[in-house]
Amino acid sequence: MTVLGYLANGLVFSSIIVLGSIGLSLVYSIADFANFAHGDTMTIGAYAALVTFGAVGGLGGAVLGLPYGFFIALVVGIVAAAIVAVGTEKFIYEPLDIDSIGLLITSIGIAFIYRALIQIRFGSDFTRFDIQPLRPIESLVPFGVRVTLHDIAIVGSAVVLVVGLHVLLQYTDLGRKMRAMADNPDLARVSGIRTKRVKLWTWVIGAGLAGAGGVFLGLFNQLSPRMGFNLLLVIFAAVILGGIGSVYGAMAGGFLIGMINQLTPFFSDVVEALPIWPGWLARLLESLISIEYANAIAFVIMVAVLLVRPNGIAGEASS
Amino acid sequence: MSALSDPKGALEDLTRAEGWVLGVSVAFLLFLFIALLTGALGPSYFLFLVGLAGMYALLSFGLNSQWGFTGLINFSVAAFFGIGAYGSALITASSSPVGEMLADVPIVGSLVGLPIVGLVVGLVVAFIMAVLIGIPTLRLRADYLAIASLGLAEVVRLIVLNERWLTNGSAGVRGIPGFFQGWPVLSTFPEAMPGLRLEIIPGSPIFLEASFWQALLNVLLVLAFSGGTYLVLRRAHRSPWGRVLRTIRSDEDLARALGKNTYSFKMQSFILGSLIMALAGVFYTHLNLYVGPGDLDPITTFYAWVAVILGGSGSNRGALFGGIVIVTIREGTRFLNDFALPIDPAPLRLLLIGVVIVVVMRYRPQGILPPQRELIWPNAIDGRGTPDKLDSGVREQKGGGGDE
Repeated sequence: MTVLGYLANGLVFSSIIVLGSIGLSLVYSIADFANFAHGDTMTIGAYAALVTFGAVGGLGGAVLGLPYGFFIALVVGIVAAAIVAVGTEKFIYEPLDIDSIGLLITSIGIAFIYRALIQIRFGSDFTRFDIQPLRPIESLVPFGVRVTLHDIAIVGSAVVLVVGLHVLLQYTDLGRKMRAMADNPDLARVSGIRTKRVKLWTWVIGAGLAGAGGVFLGLFNQLSPRMGFNLLLVIFAAVILGGIGSVYGAMAGGFLIGMINQLTPFFSDVVEALPIWPGWLARLLESLISIEYANAIAFVIMVAVLLVRPNGIAGEASS
Repeated sequence: MSALSDPKGALEDLTRAEGWVLGVSVAFLLFLFIALLTGALGPSYFLFLVGLAGMYALLSFGLNSQWGFTGLINFSVAAFFGIGAYGSALITASSSPVGEMLADVPIVGSLVGLPIVGLVVGLVVAFIMAVLIGIPTLRLRADYLAIASLGLAEVVRLIVLNERWLTNGSAGVRGIPGFFQGWPVLSTFPEAMPGLRLEIIPGSPIFLEASFWQALLNVLLVLAFSGGTYLVLRRAHRSPWGRVLRTIRSDEDLARALGKNTYSFKMQSFILGSLIMALAGVFYTHLNLYVGPGDLDPITTFYAWVAVILGGSGSNRGALFGGIVIVTIREGTRFLNDFALPIDPAPLRLLLIGVVIVVVMRYRPQGILPPQRELIWPNAIDGRGTPDKLDSGVREQKGGGGDE
């Protein structure tokens, strides 16, 4: 594959990571804790869509290689993820009387409960949406770009959702309230903002985007109960890279991490080609920069960023 | 001591939670004892479970000295456990490539294969890893530390999974000897002991054979490990060093204002805990005689976390209790799957762990046995003229106070 091909793959994977990281960043800044159940919220969206798609079927026509039924399934996935997240907030997080570290630990318990229930219901094996896999688009293959219409649908839908979120945050009343709350929750509250309601909307938006990300991840790869948890650390890497609490930073971080993840085979080609001296260093680098370590590379970058800029690339100088 | 000389008074002195835990533990032990007598539970398996409980208690002690003492959110328990386990396994296992590589080196070659060398190597590697992971992460805010440590643990797991030339990849390492192999008397002890046949209840005899004596040795080993660790931690916790750690936990800025180098203290606490976790890993290797990358799964980390938060953060007795609960969940789900409900034990375990975390955080965030007098020198209490007769409410508040 050429560089262009890796970049195209990176763009598709980035779209999924961006959808996940925006939600995580929103919840991080407004509910004020690192939500470890976010990855499993994605899994919920994916499996809800799987069940729906199995029930409604294709419904005739298709857009971008995806039957109409899939879009209904996508919406159901988003709604299911949002409902589960709001229910969890109402019944678990809200009554808790603990600090943000306690909430973080609780969210791990929630993540395990989500994943265990899915695994009990659907088994731990990989599954797929019942959609015919497409061949890469012929006209792009000469450039070394092997993307399918499905990939274009993923990127397109992600762009629509991200632009929608941007409009919501910048131009609507709710968006202004959310930004105010992220800045200073106490000040927002004394200014008459109903912070509880804004928090609920944050969960709806964050989990909904995660649900969409989960559905697309299932379309891009496969579905398994661990899919969300496996992606969670990559998403955290993206959020931290962008600076926690900054939605636009999360978008940039997600884009970057997704690209790096998919460009790993390219980097390993580069390392092989470079004349690195001494020989053992070259061998070490060659064995470490390989596709198996694509996720590990993302974590190492995350830790490196934390060392140099504890508030992320786009984060403010001090918190 | 006082519990022995005045058992009734010691019983009355317990808080409600302590009494409750004591009651449940006694009932549980009684249940296991009856199962043993009737032959429903094999004696070797029972001792294996005791060894496993001791192992989880040890793991929880390690986490406790990081989270409970200093407030470090370490989500890389599985990594240090795995480093101890793999370190020892690779040195001692017959199938390990390390033995072949070092066989020609004069003195080192003869040392490879001894479990005690495996123990040392496991601890040294864990020490190096603790320093390497600690340097970048311990300066971070608490929640960043959680994310970064979970990520680094995942890196360790990926390396173990993918470096097949060293770790045999997903197939894991087999052919590991027991811990006492090569020791003067103890290595042949299980074979040397006579096979016993006990018939306590007529018709269901219990056989005590070589595997039983082997398991008994393992239990004694873990008792030595965890007992030693418990004493060291209790001493450390009450020392001035432990007081600094507790200050960091409740208010790091305060500790810094008092002139303490908090980074250095956090690093010491992190290393101490990591070494204890690696010790648990070394023991696990020689108990289970097999290690695979599955043992490095994040679930191992959260077993230890559940044990610690259930027992009470900062409480070593609590960690002990938590270790027993974890084994009950781990082996109980397997038992349930075999005999009662045909549910795959893996997700059921996950579900139970999740539910325990949520329920504890909801109803008793300070844990069931929060540290109270553990933190105070005994003579500081006994030395006072009147024995403190506090009602339990005040005591519970005290216990909760250390939990912030």
